[in-house]
Amino acid sequence: MTSSTPQVNPTFDLSSCEQEPIRTPGSIQPHGFVLALDATGRVVQASDNLVQHLGKPPAAVLGGTLADAIGAPAAAALQPELQDERVRERPSFAATIRLSEKDHCCFDVLAHRYDTLLMLEFEAMTRAGAADFRHLYPLVGDFLQQLNDSDTIEQMSRTAADEIRTVTGFGRVLVYKFDEEGHGHVLAESNDGSLPSYLGQRFPASDIPKQARELYAANRIRLISDANYTPARLVPPVNPLTGAPNDLSFAALRSVSPIHLQYMRNMGTLASMSVSLMVKGRLWGLISCHNAAACHIPFDKRTACEQLGQILALRITSREDADELQFRLEVRRVMVSVLAGLTQGADFIENMGSVFPELLQFARAGGAAVAVDDRILRYGDTPDESQVRALIGWLDQHTHGDLYHTDRLVEHYLPAGAFLHCASGLLAMPISRIHKHYLLWFRPEFVHTVDWAGNPHAKEAPPDAPRQLSPRTSFATWRETIHGRSAPWHPGEIEMALEFRTALLGIALERAEQMAELAEELGRANKELEAFSYSVSHDLRAPLRHIVGFSDLLLEAAGNDTLDKRQRFLKNIKESARLAGKLVDDLLSFSQMGRASLRPVRVNMNELVRSCVDKLTLDTQGRHVQWHVGDLPEIVADPTFIQLALYNLLSNAVKFTSQRDPAIIRVDGRRDGTETVFDVSDNGVGFNMDYVHKLFGVFQRLHRMEDFQGTGIGLANVRRIVERHGGRVSATSSGGHGATFTFTIPNTLPSA
Amino acid sequence: MLKPILLVEDNPHDLELTLIALEKSQLANEVIVVRDGAEALDYLYSRGEYATRQKGNPAVVLLDLKLPKVDGLEVLREIRGADGLRSLPVVMLTSSREEQDLIRSYELNVNAYVVKPVDFKEFVRAISDLGIFWAVLNEPPPGSQRYVRPQN
Repeated sequence: MTSSTPQVNPTFDLSSCEQEPIRTPGSIQPHGFVLALDATGRVVQASDNLVQHLGKPPAAVLGGTLADAIGAPAAAALQPELQDERVRERPSFAATIRLSEKDHCCFDVLAHRYDTLLMLEFEAMTRAGAADFRHLYPLVGDFLQQLNDSDTIEQMSRTAADEIRTVTGFGRVLVYKFDEEGHGHVLAESNDGSLPSYLGQRFPASDIPKQARELYAANRIRLISDANYTPARLVPPVNPLTGAPNDLSFAALRSVSPIHLQYMRNMGTLASMSVSLMVKGRLWGLISCHNAAACHIPFDKRTACEQLGQILALRITSREDADELQFRLEVRRVMVSVLAGLTQGADFIENMGSVFPELLQFARAGGAAVAVDDRILRYGDTPDESQVRALIGWLDQHTHGDLYHTDRLVEHYLPAGAFLHCASGLLAMPISRIHKHYLLWFRPEFVHTVDWAGNPHAKEAPPDAPRQLSPRTSFATWRETIHGRSAPWHPGEIEMALEFRTALLGIALERAEQMAELAEELGRANKELEAFSYSVSHDLRAPLRHIVGFSDLLLEAAGNDTLDKRQRFLKNIKESARLAGKLVDDLLSFSQMGRASLRPVRVNMNELVRSCVDKLTLDTQGRHVQWHVGDLPEIVADPTFIQLALYNLLSNAVKFTSQRDPAIIRVDGRRDGTETVFDVSDNGVGFNMDYVHKLFGVFQRLHRMEDFQGTGIGLANVRRIVERHGGRVSATSSGGHGATFTFTIPNTLPSA
Repeated sequence: MLKPILLVEDNPHDLELTLIALEKSQLANEVIVVRDGAEALDYLYSRGEYATRQKGNPAVVLLDLKLPKVDGLEVLREIRGADGLRSLPVVMLTSSREEQDLIRSYELNVNAYVVKPVDFKEFVRAISDLGIFWAVLNEPPPGSQRYVRPQN
């Protein structure tokens, strides 16, 4: 993935720096000295450079009082500042003291209580007077005044860097931000030209080991006055109260790692100072100051810089919050319009298609796809359909949870190498908990170069290279070209996408509820229909029966004496009434057919046909009908229903052969693989094959009423019965030469 | 004398047709006609209007399902719960072939359930079959007595 060649010797893996005991170095920087006091005020530990600053060795002060060590006047000046409640974990300025009248030198004394000791740090000053904090306020005020609400984080950082360079006199001040992987990116720089510019460059995360980051977060400012210093040892070397090496986390004079000093010398900066930028409790970045020559920054100025750093951090916090809010508002606005679009029509996937432009805008994506069931809809710049299908298969196997996102898909899913240009980044949202339904956003490859201040791929050093602990030696720019990545997904986008998903599932849920309501309504309608059919069956049948009955009686009574006309009318009344009654019966049985559950048993089809033929003999009296019934195979079916179907088919055959002499009706059956096939054929009038598709529909009649009576429900019943058994019906006819009706019953019934 | 047939029917047309059908079957049995369930129970319990009737149960009750006041199923339930009536043959004679009506009737131990045919010839045949079977062929349970026409 890298296109350029590192110009420097391979550097070594600095991860072993993480084991360095930086909080407990056992020594201090020598531009001051340390006295550690126990609770009774006795000096229990001192730095071994006491000789340079006080003219006496540590042994001379250990066990004595502060007054014994630094003289009564100085001790007396300090004493009021060392009250318990004033001295905390972080160093506070106690006083500026002079240790001897003849000496020009004075000391800023910082006090803090930590690790069971009262630590007094005496920083040697060249100035005569006491530290002066008065200029702190104008400094902070000036800085605030220079900041505009509309400033970007880079602009604010630049202002802060300038201000700090002015205050400290350092040659170069950098403000850099840590990215998610811990790499530092230089956002702003103030530089007097004495040191090379690092603006825009990145420092690999390995430059700052983990425990150093933790220390940066705890102690917000650190000064190294001279990288060439020789550390002053603590005497005794361990904290005499705990027996362990002193924890110097908050000591201003704390000695730093020799590796770091080497790093500084390699970098050509003998003095450095860093101010931590804490944003929302997290180490956001650093203000990093460098100077080619050694240089001490007194406590008051350091305090000013620390304050300035805090103000900058606060401004960054509010700026990030505002940007975030603005961003989220925009994403939300788009989301709302997408959701509005989605609820427009009935078909979810088609609605999704209509809001694709907004969907792209929503996720700042180049392409999007929605996959519901086997349908995949793509929009914009996306992988092709088969690639999307494969990707969904992979997602389904390898991702779980509400959302999957990556700005480097190919690192997780190799086939993505084929479509880096359009889908280096992926945001995948499952929109069903059960099915493989996904909404996908694709982000194109964002090829970019990164200027590293040194090769960050330290692990690429040859395996046989010596693994000694050593900082890198070159800071020359090392340019890397990044492939296979997209612009990163913003946390706001991820959160909004989750919200979007919730809303989508909400829509789906609402839809499901609507369906349930609809089903309930249908159920109600069905019930009403049943009630209707009940009343049809019961109440309508009665008067019809009466008409038939009385007509019959009238006909009987009339005998031969009555007018023909009257008889014909009465006959018509009777016929229509009879037909109406039959219609009601048929309708009812048809509606029952859909509801009643099947009770399948072994059915002897020969017996069934025989009983139907017996029933039909009334209708065929006086006619010459030849029945040819083959040896029919047994089936498993609901006997009542099957009999009804068979009866319908046979009575049909009887009906449509009424003009034949003889009428020939055949019934055959055979096993055919997984089903049993039955044919009922006749030599009747047949039907027009043009209308064969209507044959099995309800109320379809293919003949004139006066020719053949029937309600038109019989064949619909046959189809319904056969289909409920999982079989099929069909019919053929060569018009005028009879018809053949075929139905199949599966050997294994559907479980329904 | 033959045992009477108790016909419970509210619809006048049905009543007339049924009586004609019974007549056509040439049954000699007397037919007692009541017009609703309450009246039927009065007859069976020999109370109210029927307090003075000849003792004894009819050969069979032809009971319409849909009746005003007390419907056929309620009459049937009452009969099956009463000591002197429990074993009385009851035929449900109805226009309904709804499954629920069938099930409920059989649950109440109806002796037969007959759907009135639409065709009059079939209707006559059905009624005639019923009459012959229940009034002539069927051996009624003890307690049924020959009918004596009540004196008005």
